[in-house]
Amino acid sequence: MNQPLITQSNDLAMAGVTIENLSKSYGDNLVLDDISMTVKPGSVTALIGPSGSGKSTLLRCVNLLEQPDRGTITVGSQTVTAGTKVPDRDLLALRRQVGMVFQSFNLFPHMNVLRNIAFPQERVLGRSREEAEARALTLLDRVGLKDKALQHPGKCSGGQQQRIAIVRALALNPRAILFDEPTSALDPEVGVEVLAVMRELAQAGMTMIVVTHEMQFARDVSDHLVVMADGHIIEEGDPARILADPQEERTKRFLNAVLER
Amino acid sequence: MEALLAVLIGLPMTLVVTGAAFGIGLLGGIPLMLGLRSPVLPVRAATRLVVDIIRGVPTIVWLFLLYFGVSIGGARLDSLSAAIVGLGVISSAYLAEIYRGGFSTVARGQAEAAQALGLGRGTTFRRVLAPQALRTSLPSITTFLLALLKDSSIASTIGVTEMVFAATTFARQNPTTAGLTPFFLAAGVYVLVSIPLAIVARRLDSRLTRSR
Repeated sequence: MNQPLITQSNDLAMAGVTIENLSKSYGDNLVLDDISMTVKPGSVTALIGPSGSGKSTLLRCVNLLEQPDRGTITVGSQTVTAGTKVPDRDLLALRRQVGMVFQSFNLFPHMNVLRNIAFPQERVLGRSREEAEARALTLLDRVGLKDKALQHPGKCSGGQQQRIAIVRALALNPRAILFDEPTSALDPEVGVEVLAVMRELAQAGMTMIVVTHEMQFARDVSDHLVVMADGHIIEEGDPARILADPQEERTKRFLNAVLER
Repeated sequence: MEALLAVLIGLPMTLVVTGAAFGIGLLGGIPLMLGLRSPVLPVRAATRLVVDIIRGVPTIVWLFLLYFGVSIGGARLDSLSAAIVGLGVISSAYLAEIYRGGFSTVARGQAEAAQALGLGRGTTFRRVLAPQALRTSLPSITTFLLALLKDSSIASTIGVTEMVFAATTFARQNPTTAGLTPFFLAAGVYVLVSIPLAIVARRLDSRLTRSR
C-alpha cells in the first residue's frame, strides 16, 4: 500500500454531489422529507443517524438505486430530476460517475476476484481484457490482495471482500464513491483494514459519502458530518464540533446511544 | 437376447423424444420464467395460470389432446411430433418454475451491485444473475431430465415406437414365451441410461460448487 490508490489515470477532477429538495416515500411512509445537501468535490461527508432515519435511502438515491419522488441530484455536471422516468442513458451516465460499496460487499460469487474487477471495466468502459485485468492487478496490489486475484470471493474473508469491492468500484474511475455501512458486517478488527483503505482514498482526494456507525472514522476522516433522523437532516457541520457538542436533543440521544456501549 | 434386441430398437426413439422435449423445455422455460418474474401483474398472473394449467393436466391427456384433437389445415400431427411438442411444452412449464426458483435464491444485492457498477439490464441478466440461478437450479434440472426420460414412455400410447412400445410389441408377438421379460429389459435399459446422466450431473454440480 505504499503507492497511492488514485493515480493519474483516474484523478480526473473529482465531482461534487448536490442534492436538492429530495423526497421519497414508500406508500404512506415518508422516508426522506425535502432533503438538500451539498458535498464539495474531493471532500468526505459522513452520514450518521439511527436506523430508519433514511440515511441509506438517501445514499441509494444518489445513484438512483432508489427512485426519489421529487427533487434533483447533481453529480459533477450530470443532473437528474426525479418525478419523471429517468432515461436509461442518463441513468448509466450518472452511475458511471459514482461508485458504490455495499454493507454486504455484493461481489459476484461465480467470478474470481480478478474477473469481478475486470469484467465491469470491459463492459462499462470498453477496456480490453488485458487492460482491465492489468488495472485490476495494480489496484489489488495496492490494497495488499494481489495474491487473491485467482480466488473466488467466497474464499476471502469479509475484510478482504470489502477491499476487493472498493477496488472493483475504483477500477471504473468514479468521480465519487458512496459507502453504505461498509464495515457494519465486519468484525471490528477486520473493519480496520477496510477503514484504512477508505482513509487513504479520502487523503487522495476522492469525493466520498459514507453512511456509517464508525464515529471515530466520522470524526477523523470526514470533512462534513450530517446527522439524520426520521427523514430529516437534523444537524450538520464540522464533525469534531458536532460529536463533541451536539446542538440538537435528538443528536445527543443518538450519540449517547452509540458512544456509550 | 432376441427380446433385448427388440427392446433396444426403441432406445434411439426414446432418446430422440427425451432430448428434443428437453431442448424445447430448456429454451421455452426462459420466456415463461421471465413472465413468472414480470413486475407487471397481469403478465405475471397470466403466465402463472398457463404454467399451472400445463402442469396440472396429466401428460397422457396432453398427448391425447395433441394427437387426436389438433388438426392443422385438416392434417393431424403425426405421433412423434405430438409427443415432442407435448412433452416439450410440459418441460417448458416445469423448467420455468425451476429457473424461477433459481433466480429467487440469487441475493438481491447482486442485481443492485451490477446496477451500481453501471452494467446494462441484459448484461446483468446474462452474466451476473443467470449463471448464479443456473447453478442452484442444476440439481432440479437433472432430476427433471431423469423424470422426463421415463415419461417419454407415455408417448408409446399414441404410437411412438420408443422403448416401451417396442417392449409391448415384442410381448404381443411372443405371447407364450415373452412374459414380463421385455419389460424388465426395458427397465434395465432405462436405469443404464439414467445412471450415467446422474453421475455427469453430480460431477458438474460439485465442480460448480467447488469453484465458488
